[in-house]
Amino acid sequence: MSESTQLGSQLVDLCSVLLLLSCFAIVAQRRLSACVDLFALQSFFLATTAALVAFLTGHRHIYLAAALTVVIKVIVLPRILRKVIERLNVSRELVMNINVPAGLLICGGLVVVAFFITQPIIPLGYLLTRDSLAIALAIILIGLFTMIARKKAVTQMVGFLVMENGVFLGATAAAYGMPLIVELGVFFDVLVAGLIAGIYTHRLQDAFDSVDTSELTVLKE
Amino acid sequence: MILQIGLVFMQLIMLLAFSPFIVGVIRKVKARLQCRRGASLLQPYADLAKLFGKQPVVSSTTSWIFPAAPYIVFASTVTAGLLMPVFISHTPLNFAGNIIALVYVLAMGTFFLILAGLDAGSAFGGMGSSREAIVATLAEPAMILSILAIALTAGSTNLSTIVHRSALLEGVVLAPPAHLMALAAMFIVTLAETGRVPVDNPATHLELTMIHEAMLLEYSGRYLALVEWAAGIKLLVFLTLLVNVFAPWGIATHATPSALAAGVTVYVVKVTGLAVIIGVIESMFAKLRLFRVPELLGSAFILALLALVFFYTLRG
Repeated sequence: MSESTQLGSQLVDLCSVLLLLSCFAIVAQRRLSACVDLFALQSFFLATTAALVAFLTGHRHIYLAAALTVVIKVIVLPRILRKVIERLNVSRELVMNINVPAGLLICGGLVVVAFFITQPIIPLGYLLTRDSLAIALAIILIGLFTMIARKKAVTQMVGFLVMENGVFLGATAAAYGMPLIVELGVFFDVLVAGLIAGIYTHRLQDAFDSVDTSELTVLKE
Repeated sequence: MILQIGLVFMQLIMLLAFSPFIVGVIRKVKARLQCRRGASLLQPYADLAKLFGKQPVVSSTTSWIFPAAPYIVFASTVTAGLLMPVFISHTPLNFAGNIIALVYVLAMGTFFLILAGLDAGSAFGGMGSSREAIVATLAEPAMILSILAIALTAGSTNLSTIVHRSALLEGVVLAPPAHLMALAAMFIVTLAETGRVPVDNPATHLELTMIHEAMLLEYSGRYLALVEWAAGIKLLVFLTLLVNVFAPWGIATHATPSALAAGVTVYVVKVTGLAVIIGVIESMFAKLRLFRVPELLGSAFILALLALVFFYTLRG
């Protein structure tokens, strides 16, 4: 591996590590609005990673994916989520299914699991982004964990979006991104899913006066 | 041989003389950010001199631990300071122990301070001791893990070797993510162990929030001076660890007068810069509620754990 690709590979690693760190920040954060801000920050890191990969490999369509990430995940989706939060009567999530210190430890374990699983695959790869595959899997697992650990619809949605970020990073890491048409479809899906979840959260707020999804398990007359 | 002894004394004097200045710098930065003029940078020296001149008052209910603890705390902190490289990559007490010994020599000081807090039997002392015990137990795993991550990148647990190798960039496995995370973990541990703001407030004497100050409440005169001085040296030890392990560039690697002069200058500048950063952080953040401290130290632990994991996986 030449000097410049080595440096590029390390930069990509660094960016994906920042992505992973912002995951942990989301897990540790109780304020709903701060969770959304952290998600926007994470998406920004994702766009940076994608742009970096595009620059290093010369694949033009990854630039487009990075630009779409900035527009949809850094600007539009956080704005929708902030609108939702403005209507809520809570600003912090105090009761969770799993408390924050335990959640952080579990997430640490998930990262180890993700690295352990991808360990046999990574040496087979030849792309300069191959190390990010383990981080992408870790991000997907942590996103899933966030959806399980949190009770509020907004943070569960952030967990879902974090998972999506992980999938995107995984695709970039494993195959320099999906074909452009698939990428466009995925972005559209995420946008629509974000809109629907936003509307659903509004309805939840109207019906139960709370966005605690555990209320949905209780029968109501 | 004489050179060696000379270097030991130079480092000793550096630690003893420089630590009150660092405390003064942090106070000055905080005062400036609060639009006050603040006390002179030399005020901590004057405080120490004043306390050493006063007669100590010792409660009649205390045992031998109470008067002995300040000496033990002071001695263990200074020993820890001599176990690490300060302005030259050579460590004075290199034969005596490595980085793990340093952590536990410091822990011994903390342990005796906790005992001393309990000894006088006052309610505040006991409360401070129990809190200090919580913080110390939670900070220790994070500190050890981040140190292990660094030791792995340099291939040695000997601080002198770690600093020497990373200063010259020889035989070091470059793993920037691991380094950054270990640095972040170590920084949080530094704030917790030295009783700085997100964990403890060194300027408060408000009963409900004290940790470190509560343990010292019964001390006066030269005992108080010793404990305060030891706290300053402990702060300097942690800042030096951060500076020398994570950014050792400019440290003297051999004992020539010019290299030593450069090493001392670079060291003073770097540590003072770090002290300014800590002062800014103290002004920006509020103290955490005590029950949120485990979350902060838990995240430091996770960061250190990730640093270890990344060291193994991102070697390329």
